[in-house]
Amino acid sequence: MGMKKKYWTGIDELHGTAAAQQALTQEFTKDQTVEDFLSDGKLKDTNTGRRDFLKFMGFSVAAASLAACETPVVKSIPYVVKPEEITPGVANFYASTYYDGNDYGNILVKSREGRPIFIKGNKDFGLGGGAVSSRINSSVLGLYDNARVSKPRKQGNDINWSDLDNEVKAALQAAQSIRIVSNTIISPSTQRAINEFSAKYAGKVKHIQYDAVSYNGLSKAHDGAVPSYNFDKAKTIVSIGADFLGTWLTPNIFSTQYASTRKPEGKWMSKHFQFESSMSLSGSNADVRTPIKPSQEGMVAAALYAAVTGGSTVSVSDADAAINNAAAELKASRGESIVVAGSNDPMVQTIVKGINQALGNYANCIDANKGTNFFKGNDEEMKKLVEEMNAGSVGALIIYGCNPAYSWYEADKFMLGLQKVPCSVSFSLFADETANKCTYIAPDHHYLESWNDLSPIAGRTDLVQPIINPLHMTRYAQESLLRWADNNANYYDYLRSTYNGAYTPAMMKSDTSWHMAVHNGTFATNAVVADAPAQADAPQVVSAAAPVMAAAPLNVNDAVSYVSAIKGGQFELSLYEKVTMGNGIHANNPLLNETPDPITKVTWDNYACMAIADMTEMGLQTYIGQCDCASKVKVTVDGKSVIVPAFPTPGQKRGTISIALGYGRGAGNEEIGNAAYQTGEKGTHLTDKDGNRVPVGQNVYNLANISGNTAIYAAYNVSVEKLDETYSLATTQMHNTVMGRDSIVRETTIAAYIAEKTKAKGSATWNMAHTLAVHEDVNKDGKINIKDQKDINDFDLWREHPVEGVGHRWGLTIDLNSCIGCGSCITACHTENNVPVVGKDEVLRHRDMHWLRIDRYFSSEYNTVEETAEANKVGTIGAYRLMENPEENPKTVHMPMMCQHCNHAPCETVCPVAATVHSNEGLNNMAYNRCIGTRYCANNCPYKVRRFNWFNYVTNDKFAMVNPSQDESMRMVLNPDVTVRTRGVMEKCSMCQQRIQAGKLDAKKAGTPVADGSILTACAEACPTNAIVFGDLNDAKSTNRKRADDVRSYHSLEETGVKPNVYYMTKVRNIEETEA
Amino acid sequence: MFKESNIRKPLILGHKTYHDITNDIVAPIGVAPKQWKIAFTIALIVALYGVGVIFYIVGVGIGSWGLNKTVGWAWDITNFVWWVGIGHAGTLISAVLLLFRQRWRMAINRSAEAMTIFAVMMAAVFPIIHMGRVWQAYWTLPLPNQFGSLWPNFNSALMWDVFAISTYFSVSLVFWYIGLIPDFATIRDRMVKPGMKRFYSILSFGWSGRAKNWTRFEEISLVLAGIATPLVFSVHSIVSMDFATSIVPGWHTTIFPPYFVSGAIFSGFAMVQTLLLIMRKTMKLEAYIHLKHIEYMNIVIIVTGSIVGVAYLTELFISWYSGVEYESYAFINRFSGPLAWSYWCMMTCNVISPQLFWFKKLRTNLGFTFFMSIIVNIGMWFERFVIIVTSIHREYTPATWGEFKATSIDIGLFIGTIGIFFTLFLLFARYFPVLALNELKTILKTSGESYKNEQHKH
Repeated sequence: MGMKKKYWTGIDELHGTAAAQQALTQEFTKDQTVEDFLSDGKLKDTNTGRRDFLKFMGFSVAAASLAACETPVVKSIPYVVKPEEITPGVANFYASTYYDGNDYGNILVKSREGRPIFIKGNKDFGLGGGAVSSRINSSVLGLYDNARVSKPRKQGNDINWSDLDNEVKAALQAAQSIRIVSNTIISPSTQRAINEFSAKYAGKVKHIQYDAVSYNGLSKAHDGAVPSYNFDKAKTIVSIGADFLGTWLTPNIFSTQYASTRKPEGKWMSKHFQFESSMSLSGSNADVRTPIKPSQEGMVAAALYAAVTGGSTVSVSDADAAINNAAAELKASRGESIVVAGSNDPMVQTIVKGINQALGNYANCIDANKGTNFFKGNDEEMKKLVEEMNAGSVGALIIYGCNPAYSWYEADKFMLGLQKVPCSVSFSLFADETANKCTYIAPDHHYLESWNDLSPIAGRTDLVQPIINPLHMTRYAQESLLRWADNNANYYDYLRSTYNGAYTPAMMKSDTSWHMAVHNGTFATNAVVADAPAQADAPQVVSAAAPVMAAAPLNVNDAVSYVSAIKGGQFELSLYEKVTMGNGIHANNPLLNETPDPITKVTWDNYACMAIADMTEMGLQTYIGQCDCASKVKVTVDGKSVIVPAFPTPGQKRGTISIALGYGRGAGNEEIGNAAYQTGEKGTHLTDKDGNRVPVGQNVYNLANISGNTAIYAAYNVSVEKLDETYSLATTQMHNTVMGRDSIVRETTIAAYIAEKTKAKGSATWNMAHTLAVHEDVNKDGKINIKDQKDINDFDLWREHPVEGVGHRWGLTIDLNSCIGCGSCITACHTENNVPVVGKDEVLRHRDMHWLRIDRYFSSEYNTVEETAEANKVGTIGAYRLMENPEENPKTVHMPMMCQHCNHAPCETVCPVAATVHSNEGLNNMAYNRCIGTRYCANNCPYKVRRFNWFNYVTNDKFAMVNPSQDESMRMVLNPDVTVRTRGVMEKCSMCQQRIQAGKLDAKKAGTPVADGSILTACAEACPTNAIVFGDLNDAKSTNRKRADDVRSYHSLEETGVKPNVYYMTKVRNIEETEA
Repeated sequence: MFKESNIRKPLILGHKTYHDITNDIVAPIGVAPKQWKIAFTIALIVALYGVGVIFYIVGVGIGSWGLNKTVGWAWDITNFVWWVGIGHAGTLISAVLLLFRQRWRMAINRSAEAMTIFAVMMAAVFPIIHMGRVWQAYWTLPLPNQFGSLWPNFNSALMWDVFAISTYFSVSLVFWYIGLIPDFATIRDRMVKPGMKRFYSILSFGWSGRAKNWTRFEEISLVLAGIATPLVFSVHSIVSMDFATSIVPGWHTTIFPPYFVSGAIFSGFAMVQTLLLIMRKTMKLEAYIHLKHIEYMNIVIIVTGSIVGVAYLTELFISWYSGVEYESYAFINRFSGPLAWSYWCMMTCNVISPQLFWFKKLRTNLGFTFFMSIIVNIGMWFERFVIIVTSIHREYTPATWGEFKATSIDIGLFIGTIGIFFTLFLLFARYFPVLALNELKTILKTSGESYKNEQHKH
């Protein structure tokens, strides 16, 4: 029995009253409205004060606007699995090789986070020292050009690879004859693929090699191969129109060789004679330069031959004295001299060969037996091909690595012929003049995306390795050829099997010699090719040096009588390649377009170089400036004419006119890259009346001719007609002479140098230190007079920066004797430091951004104002005016000029916000973030090396077509270690601060002092002649310190007392005092 | 009471009473005649154009000017120095002449000071806008900051410029305003419209005209004159140091401070002439600003113009005498180089033409004076252009020798500042007392024509 107790809440409930019953159903005993419940009676009494209101409002506005701000999304994705070799922030270097059919260089490619961003020479393993020219080191930009053909195309429409293969194969099978036109193939594997292709379509295929600028004359004179030259062994160099330092054969390699013979400290210094019509880079470096007409080239060679062999004398009007001197020097250095000629006439080359043979140069200085594999182009066969195409007998045409629709002298005829070819395929990376008219474009990889092997000279094989995966849906040209020959090999395997067919895939990975070769960029010896096991089924090893044609030996005497018959007219024309632009491959490279020509300093154009006297006679504008436009002239050759602006060029032979090849690319509005077309004041492309974009410069390949089966890049009788039109040319240097200012440029002759070379620095008569007269008895003769002089460096207005002997003191020494002015440093500096490209209109306004420029000075007739005044019987004012004019055939100095990192920097004192300050390592630092852009520093810089960001080059529309940093893909080339500067700040050479920092960190990690040579600035690294040397001036053992203390060393503008950390070394010319 | 010799020419012509003075000066206030409206409209349009140009420059960059890698300063700093120079006369007239008790200044000091203030404002536009990054202009001030306590560079003459110009501007402004206070009070007392009355009563700071007010007024005027006098010399000396402390041949010259100061006074007086000759005519102030004043100012122009001429010749001599090839070439290039036309323009306008004022007939000719005042200002603009551009366009390294071509933006900005200047000046002429009326009253009994004649009779 359970107890059942009950409890009540109250008596009402016990009794169960009505009220209690009702209360049970209600939650609240009393009814309450919501308003009553929530309202606060006091609320009506309080009021929000003005201050509170403002506070609340302020808070809400701030909160609302803050909430509206979106945090920028930074798209950086970390590696999930980090590749072993990539550490973010640390660059890797890979060895590779550059070859474009014209230039050759062994390179190291700098890769940051997988992107190739910089190219430098492979100095350890490169051919001839691994020097690179500006054309090579700026080629990295081409990789990222967004005009590249990204997919295979058929008649302008995208097509996929398998369809293309099927269609092309069908066409090839149907074709009666197949022709392959390529640039000179020096790759054994590529040659093998071509051979395999030829075998597949046996009997139908013919491979024609074609060079845009032909060396056929040279190879004909040497039994079909271009010989290799060793300029480093030549005590006498005679060049007849060959710009071997700028464009002729392998100029980057010759530059290194040449510079090694130009050291006055050495046992001997080479003597260089140049005979040419327009001042070339080589001519500007020559000890003796003689202007001649193009028609006289053969006669100069003949006269030299006669003088050297002692035959009957041949006279060449005003060049006789120079020829006799050259001949005397040549005879004195038999077997140790080189004579070269730029002419593509086999007759001229035969005479030159005769001279070299007579001098015995073929043993040591020139190697014809172990010749190069370069320039096997055959003009005769190319001409035949064009005829065949026009006859309609070519069934299929494959174009590889060349652009005949642009560079063939009868491009129109080639184009007409191309239309008659049923199936044409181009492997071009761009839809260029030729590819655009081909049926198919089967785009090849860029060389930075490819494997390849290259054999520049017999017995040497270099490797090309990919630095990045292909950016587009492109395919190896070699693979395309193999596919069409029913071989599905992967080109890498194919290439490796060229060397050793026995390799299994497993062995490929373990082969140390291959890996070593990839690492070095070259096979150390030619052993690999030779050691290939001779198996029956082994892939064939192709000798790339197979002579293209067996030329009938030419006779020197016949050649002499042939050249004597050449007669010139009133005006003669020579076509040359510009050092910056080469044969036109680089037309879309904004960097090269903006790099000034080393002689004329003109950017973004080609023009007719003319003698100033001729121009004055014709009434042409001889002063070219921002508003002083060049006059246009019409040059007519055999009925073909071209209209170009005329540029006054000192050193140009009177009665000659020279125009650069390689311009006027994309005249048919092809998609070859934005920088190939002219931009206007607003930065948009200029268009002609048909709406086509106007290319940069004029194409003058059509003025070349084929004579005697080789292309001749000259015309001996042309007419030049003045037009009443003008054209603006953008130069980076307007003034030509140094105005007798010997503290800027110092030069002397070899005899004077030798006489005083053991003297202390600053006491040689040709390199005296600057002194200042003081009012104290310095020389202790008891009198105070003008003889009491003190060294300029003893005067200090300010406290000295403590850089001497403390820690590091970075500096450069620049040898004016070694600098040939090639401009390789300019482009290297550009890519290393993200220097903006600003385009023609801005260069015209003198706003080029080059951190490093090369000042080019021509000599005026007399060295000083006094001499000029006396000789011309004029006063000082008149003398200064006369000194502004260079001589008719001037001597030239190339002077690289960058921030001098002065220890008493005038820029540092004048900056109101201390944005430019001195580091304790001797550097003049520039804090971009602090700069407000008053430009006072630039005004106060005596060297004028500071560059101002006039616009925001990264966003301003004016630069959209030219500045790589504005292009979505091209900006990948920017160096992540260097800030891209914004509008309104000053910038200048930082002596590659980022590299110094990295080098110091490396040394710190290794726990060693910074070794001499372990840090290099981009310019020093790029210099093919070692003219620029970087190092620690406080390191007594460093090369740099030794050079700085040399008797030739001086500071430019020393008397201003700015105490630079950049030293120059006096130029020494190998001439007699009387010739100076 | 101070008595003045009867030989001295009276400073206030005709028979004027205190009431007349008040009437003459206060009556035009707030009234806009047609001429004024036309002039103001033109000035305003030009000013708005100038403001547009400023926005364009700030938006796009200094690249819209004709400057280049060699010539880093051209029209910007030329205009700056030109305007600062013009801004010199006002303070000189009010401060230096006050200390020297030159009472003829009373008729011209008010508008000369207004001109000074507006000219300095225009001058200030250029150094600010010529900066690549205008928005960071405040970094030139020594402000506490978070950049690790980063100070400006006190070695830089540009830094000194910031102080010199801002001090000069603030002192001139205060000085001018103090002088205006009693005159504002007079206007306030005459205004009937409540809005205008309120406006002027705020401006007059509750001036009651008590003796205590006047004592303080005179004391502060003297103190400010004492402060302002050295500023007259310091400002342009420091501006000249922008050039003199550099190492640019043609800039690095110790003669610059006195040469710049006299040049500034020279151009300042010319500008005062230009403005006053128009103003006295349009506002009928011939009784207060008459031939005597004009002649005095022309004499100042001859003196300062001659100092400037001597300075030019000294520069030439020193450039030859120094034996420094860069220095001598810089000057040879000035008068014989590609920009020689600007040098000869400067020489003609600044050295030769002011010498014509030696002839009394010419210096008392109003039309000729007006013409000359324009010529002098053109000449002084070219002086700055010559110093700046011709020196740097061909300096040490011949490879960088360049040229300079002005763009429409360069020209537009200059014209725009002239528009802004005239807009401000016309507003001043309309709403502010153009003569120091209360000060003028102090000399009425001594230098007024009728009073003088009366005294003479006794």
